[in-house]
Amino acid sequence: MSAASPRAGVRSLRLAWIALAIAIAIGAALAYGGHWFLGKVRRDEASSRTQLAEASARLAAARRESEDFRASAEVFRDLVKRGILEEENRLELVERLDRLKREHRLGGLEYEIAPQRPLAIAGTATFTAVDVRGSRVKVTARALHEGDALAFLEELSRPPRGFTPATRCHLMRLETGGGESLAPRIEAQCTLEWITLKDKRGPRAR
Amino acid sequence: MAARHILYLTNASLVSLVVRGGRVAERQAFPNTGAGHERFEAHAQAHRALPAHVITDLAEEDFRLDTIPHLGGRDREAVLARKLSQLFRNTPYRHAIVQGREPEGRRDDRVVYTAITNPEVLRPWVEALERHSVPLEGIHSSAVFSGRLLAELGLALPHTLLVTITPGGAVRQTYFLGGEIRFSRLTPIDLEPGGTLGGLLAGETARTWQYLDSLRYFTPADRLEVCVVAHAGDQPSIAPELRDYERIRYRMLDIGQVAARLGMKPAPASSSAEEILACLFARRGMENHFAPPEVRRFATLRRARNAILAGAGAALAAGAAFGGWNLALALEAREREQQTLERVAVFQRQSDEIMRAMPLQDVGGETMRDTVTFYARSLRAYPTISGFLQPVSEVLARYPEIRLTQVAWQAADDDKAQPAFAPTVPRESPPVRAVARAPTQVPAGAATPLAEGGDGGFPAGRHAVAVLEGTVTVSGLGFRDALARIDGLVADIGRISGYRAAIVDSPLDVTTRAAIQGRFGDREPAPSQARFSIRVSRTQEPRT
Repeated sequence: MSAASPRAGVRSLRLAWIALAIAIAIGAALAYGGHWFLGKVRRDEASSRTQLAEASARLAAARRESEDFRASAEVFRDLVKRGILEEENRLELVERLDRLKREHRLGGLEYEIAPQRPLAIAGTATFTAVDVRGSRVKVTARALHEGDALAFLEELSRPPRGFTPATRCHLMRLETGGGESLAPRIEAQCTLEWITLKDKRGPRAR
Repeated sequence: MAARHILYLTNASLVSLVVRGGRVAERQAFPNTGAGHERFEAHAQAHRALPAHVITDLAEEDFRLDTIPHLGGRDREAVLARKLSQLFRNTPYRHAIVQGREPEGRRDDRVVYTAITNPEVLRPWVEALERHSVPLEGIHSSAVFSGRLLAELGLALPHTLLVTITPGGAVRQTYFLGGEIRFSRLTPIDLEPGGTLGGLLAGETARTWQYLDSLRYFTPADRLEVCVVAHAGDQPSIAPELRDYERIRYRMLDIGQVAARLGMKPAPASSSAEEILACLFARRGMENHFAPPEVRRFATLRRARNAILAGAGAALAAGAAFGGWNLALALEAREREQQTLERVAVFQRQSDEIMRAMPLQDVGGETMRDTVTFYARSLRAYPTISGFLQPVSEVLARYPEIRLTQVAWQAADDDKAQPAFAPTVPRESPPVRAVARAPTQVPAGAATPLAEGGDGGFPAGRHAVAVLEGTVTVSGLGFRDALARIDGLVADIGRISGYRAAIVDSPLDVTTRAAIQGRFGDREPAPSQARFSIRVSRTQEPRT
């Protein structure tokens, strides 16, 4: 009658209870372990997706940059050829103005080239590698016909070398007063900026 | 199917049958003697792990019929317990079976009380089981359980007398009325010289019929169906003696066919019915009849232990299943992650290759970038006066009566810029003119210096703005035509893509803001030139 009493009965079930406790513990550990591992792998997977998105963005940026670089390199070569990074050659401009005066049969030409200065550019971010410099050129030209004046200004503001955009112009019809057919009838007063860039790290072989 | 340990107890012996998978896997018989009891001790020790059922087929089994008021739940239990204690006060092995209800009157419950009236018959066997902690699930009445055999064989007839032969050399006759047990009796097989088993059975069943008839179980139309279970080898000595009468009919049940019907293999080798009943019991089971709770405690503990272990197994299986499911999902996710990381590596390698393959220029990349950026933003599409005036000139060509006198043009950062200029006064002014604002008048034909605006900065040139001043021919007082022409000119310029135009000074300001002066002589006014000015602007697309 070893298991006659309730206490003996409970004692005889001790191993079963222990087995139940161990099984619950192991089952819980397996469940928690699996759940934890799944969570970790999912976090890793999310992280890898983020890495993929970043790598994809980097690749797209690299491709864009490469294309931009190639396009920019061509533009840059043209600009270097046009002397954007060279010092002003004022004598060349003086000679050029004289040549244009003759080519466009100007009745008179006056000009003034101001000292070079750092050029403030509206609405443009600062450049870290180059300094922008400008020399203001004021030109007063008299022509027989407005076509001559405009052609002169067009050629002056779009030189084969260098950059001299006109920022403002004033064209006025002159009163000749008489019948002088060769007297200038148009006067053009224009302001141009002779723009050059200077590499902040000094001159380089171009 | 789990193995069952069936102990078929008769007055002469105890037959131990281990039934596994529908067949008797082990059979041992222990005579009801001291030696038999000793051998059973060892047997019980060896089979202590199997749940045991004792099926009694004893002469001391008593049956009493009764009716009790139809009660429910605990009340009925209490009534039955009281009745049992009254009827069988000297034995703990007693049981009550509620079989049905009376068709008439109060419709009382029909009850059969059964008990093993001499507990000493069971004592040595039960004590041996307890000594070895054998889980005894129950003590069951063979007579009661044999009703299941009839149902299984499709012999649920109105009046059935089941005749079986027990391993102790006795005949069990159990009478079922409409499937309900009413009477059972055990008779030793004690053949007289020259007598046969068939003759014994015929005599005993006839006496039983007479007894039942005396209890008025039959009407004249009823017939008692006597089902005799016997081995084929014994049937020649039985069947010839069993003659059907008008109110008694015999059915010989071959024990081999019965075994086949029950799916039991192999069939019993004799007419003794314990193996058939044991196999049927192992398959169908039955409630406990006689065993009190203290006798069944090891079985109770076993069931509790099994339940706990089942719970443990379920917990382990659930944890393993959940963990495994998560692991499977994790492995899938890990595979996807690996594929993603491979793609990341491919993208990274391609990026590196692109960066490595990027051509290096003669100058630093930053210088190139700044130079190109400056050019793109500030120089590439910078406006020119000739480019600005070209479309305007084409429009002006359609208005020969209009003559420009001056153009003030500038590149600007916004389209609100207003180029400075000095208005001129035509030599042949009309006799009527508006006097509103007081602009600085300069003599006709005198050049005006270029008004210098700004502080030396370089405008972005997103807009080009000009003020066009001119004269329009006015015949007499034909200002309507002059105004219409200037309006037409402004409208036509405004139709040029990207251009906007507005009148600054009208040939004659007819609004209420200005004064109007007129000067006429005796003669009709000659054709004159009326001054006007218009503002024209052009906006370029944003540059990158």
